[in-house]
Amino acid sequence: MMVTGPALGRRHLLAGGAAILTLGNARVGRAAGAASQCVLGVTQEAVNFNPLLYVNTGVETSVEYIVFDAPWQIGPDGNFFPNLAAEIPTRANGGISADGRTWTVKLNPAVRWHDGTPFSSADVAFTLDTIMNPKVAVRSRNGHDHVASYDTPDPQTIRIQLKDNFAPYLVSWQKTSIIPKHILGGVADINTAPFNTAPIGTGPFKFKERVAGSYISFEPNTAYHRGAPKLTSLIQKYVPDQQTLYAQFQTGEVDIYDLQGIPPLLYSRAKKLPGSRILLSPSPFVEFIYFNCGKPQFKDKAVRKAIYMAIDKKGWIDAVYYGVPQPTLSYLPPNHWAYNKSLKDPGYNPAQAAAMLDAAGWKVGSDGVRAKDGVRLAFTMSTTAGNKSREQAQQLVQQNLKKINVEMTIKNMPASVVWGDYTVKSEFDTLMVGWDPLLYPDPDYTDRIASNLIPAKGGSGSNYVQYENAEIDALCAKGTATLEQAERKPIYDRIQEILLDDMPFAPIFAYELVIGVKDRVHGYEVNPYTPINSWNTGAWSVG
Amino acid sequence: MARYLRNRIGQSLLLLLGVSVIGFALMHLAPGGPLAVYTLNPTVTAQDIERVKHQFGLDQPVYVQYVKWAFGLVTGHWGYSFFGGRPVGSIVLERIPATLELMGSSLALALIVGVASGILAAVRRNTIIDYATATAAMLALSLPTFWFGLLGIYVFAQTLGWLPAGGIASTGGGGLLDRLLHLLLPMLVLAFVLVAQWSRYTRSAMLEILTQDYMRTARAKGLGPARVLLGHGLRAALVPLVTLAGLQLPLLVGGALVTETVFSWPGMGLLFVNALGMRDYPVLMAILMVGALVVVLGNLLADIIVALIDPRIKLTHV
Repeated sequence: MMVTGPALGRRHLLAGGAAILTLGNARVGRAAGAASQCVLGVTQEAVNFNPLLYVNTGVETSVEYIVFDAPWQIGPDGNFFPNLAAEIPTRANGGISADGRTWTVKLNPAVRWHDGTPFSSADVAFTLDTIMNPKVAVRSRNGHDHVASYDTPDPQTIRIQLKDNFAPYLVSWQKTSIIPKHILGGVADINTAPFNTAPIGTGPFKFKERVAGSYISFEPNTAYHRGAPKLTSLIQKYVPDQQTLYAQFQTGEVDIYDLQGIPPLLYSRAKKLPGSRILLSPSPFVEFIYFNCGKPQFKDKAVRKAIYMAIDKKGWIDAVYYGVPQPTLSYLPPNHWAYNKSLKDPGYNPAQAAAMLDAAGWKVGSDGVRAKDGVRLAFTMSTTAGNKSREQAQQLVQQNLKKINVEMTIKNMPASVVWGDYTVKSEFDTLMVGWDPLLYPDPDYTDRIASNLIPAKGGSGSNYVQYENAEIDALCAKGTATLEQAERKPIYDRIQEILLDDMPFAPIFAYELVIGVKDRVHGYEVNPYTPINSWNTGAWSVG
Repeated sequence: MARYLRNRIGQSLLLLLGVSVIGFALMHLAPGGPLAVYTLNPTVTAQDIERVKHQFGLDQPVYVQYVKWAFGLVTGHWGYSFFGGRPVGSIVLERIPATLELMGSSLALALIVGVASGILAAVRRNTIIDYATATAAMLALSLPTFWFGLLGIYVFAQTLGWLPAGGIASTGGGGLLDRLLHLLLPMLVLAFVLVAQWSRYTRSAMLEILTQDYMRTARAKGLGPARVLLGHGLRAALVPLVTLAGLQLPLLVGGALVTETVFSWPGMGLLFVNALGMRDYPVLMAILMVGALVVVLGNLLADIIVALIDPRIKLTHV
């Protein structure tokens, strides 16, 4: 609230005076006596706290991390560390068999549920049962469909037999929080269980209450197996409007502005806020233009590559996102271990893009738009209506493409429309979308690029661009069957090289979120491998 | 009167049935649906989406889904939210107190200020007072409420630090003063727009009445200006105002979409915005039906009150 800097004008003095006058109620937003309370501000509302059922990644993941635990976690350095498990299974410690298909997970005997019940391997087996139960609307099977069978030799051990070698399985478990058998085991319909809104977990905090439309409060789990949390109260506060949340962050009504972060527009202003630090949080999400390769305009890869070359990606990042995100040439963020550092950016070159289209037979017609064999090089681009940044980006792309005589029409729709059948059944021409791999941080991308996983052709994956390439299919299969990271690296290098050449989707940048944290908060650490930075709330403190 | 009520209630039930059929059909016929949220989640595969679709019963024909839903509604089972699986009844009902608090206080404020300024503008027509209220009303009606809301937050919360920036109370609860401080800004922003409507309606209704013969007669009888204006004038002007009140009654439970979002007010408007974004059909249908019920009740109530204050109107016709 105080003004710093040498230029203290009359206006500033007046503002300072007003601040002093109102000092009495300056802390109007904070309840008295909550000295060790931390308020996490988010712009979406978490409504489902069952870690297997919720669908809103980010805000609901945050509750999952606060209340529940998975067998292991992933740290900001990309390394796994044990949580419910006593150790990470490897071939060296005998946790993974020589053929890679038998996984033996030893559990930490000190773990208790929030109601005091001991945690055991029966809970892990029950979690697997629930994931595979066709009557339960679990969000994703997270790779557990590779499991052939499992058993619990003793309360501290679960043994899993896989159908095939599946390298991302380590990530599957990092993404699978364990639910309590003693509470849900007898519930007839888990989809509507009261547990989903009043969860009991093993995590650092206990769920206290949810006030619909306002906040969720948590109290520390003093018996936590990794040590009692330092905070006496943790609040996840829902503020739907970004501007209002920013105002609350400024006034101290919230301590952390997380989730989608402060809008890049406010980045430079936010950096000057006193008593706060602004962190850039790399995110797994990559922004793409998705080409529907099934449409006649996009069958020829020369068209897709020419479009990529005609788009001013740097201008896009600078003008729309204030230079915050990192450019990428792959479906992985550039800081990922598997990112192919030798990929060459074709650069922004409209003249060469036009020449490529000429050479491929796409000639400029009388209406000023290129065409070949009666197909006009004209298409629509869709994304969620009302997303200001994306709308600006679309206008930039539209201008860029007009210069090479390609006609792009913006066709935005509400989220519930554009991401419904329009996407899944490949009805779009192009999409502007930010997505991360299925089992990120594993680099496996089979689901989005394998030719047998095109839903529009009866496949069961997410290959919405309808991309087909036999070499990619083979490489994807080899990549997931290879367990050692060093052996996997060249496979994924090659996959990224082919994708950049075939361009079924055009990678633009990896998102970096602008997170605001009050100086009174300690222990908060951004984690590029998790969708929200609530992965270590047990270590947070205020003061 | 009893026969009139019976007929009106019968009509209302038919109307509600119609609303439910049209609402349900439109919602399901509109492109997209609740599964889009699943598509947008990168960890969800197309296979998962098919499985969830079956679980939600969305793979059944729309008329089957409607019959199941309607049967549930009349037997008191409003269904479960697709997101979280909570019973819809409690999801909707828990939002009513917050919306009543905000809408009730701003409607009351708007009524008092709006009617007073309307009378004043009518009596002092073509003076600076009349022009000033007209300008203020035009300003309030033509600028979007979110703009007023953000401006209010910027000035009173961010710059001056006098009022909290949104929310219904401090996190973890607060006293009466805390709640009033939270209420003040959203109430004023909402009331500003409502005042404008009340003021304009009152002014035009009063203008018509001020020139009536009985007003002159009242003055000729030697009544004081206050008695003439309020006893004879306002009483006669009440009829259109009561109708307006009946039309605004649904706001009391419907809430305000924009204002509630800007001020993170946990009322019905915010619930509706979120349920619409996710296409949470059971929640949307419940809000629609509650809203329709209040509209019907509001109109019925207004008609009855109008008949009570205006002896010329008799409630015998349907």
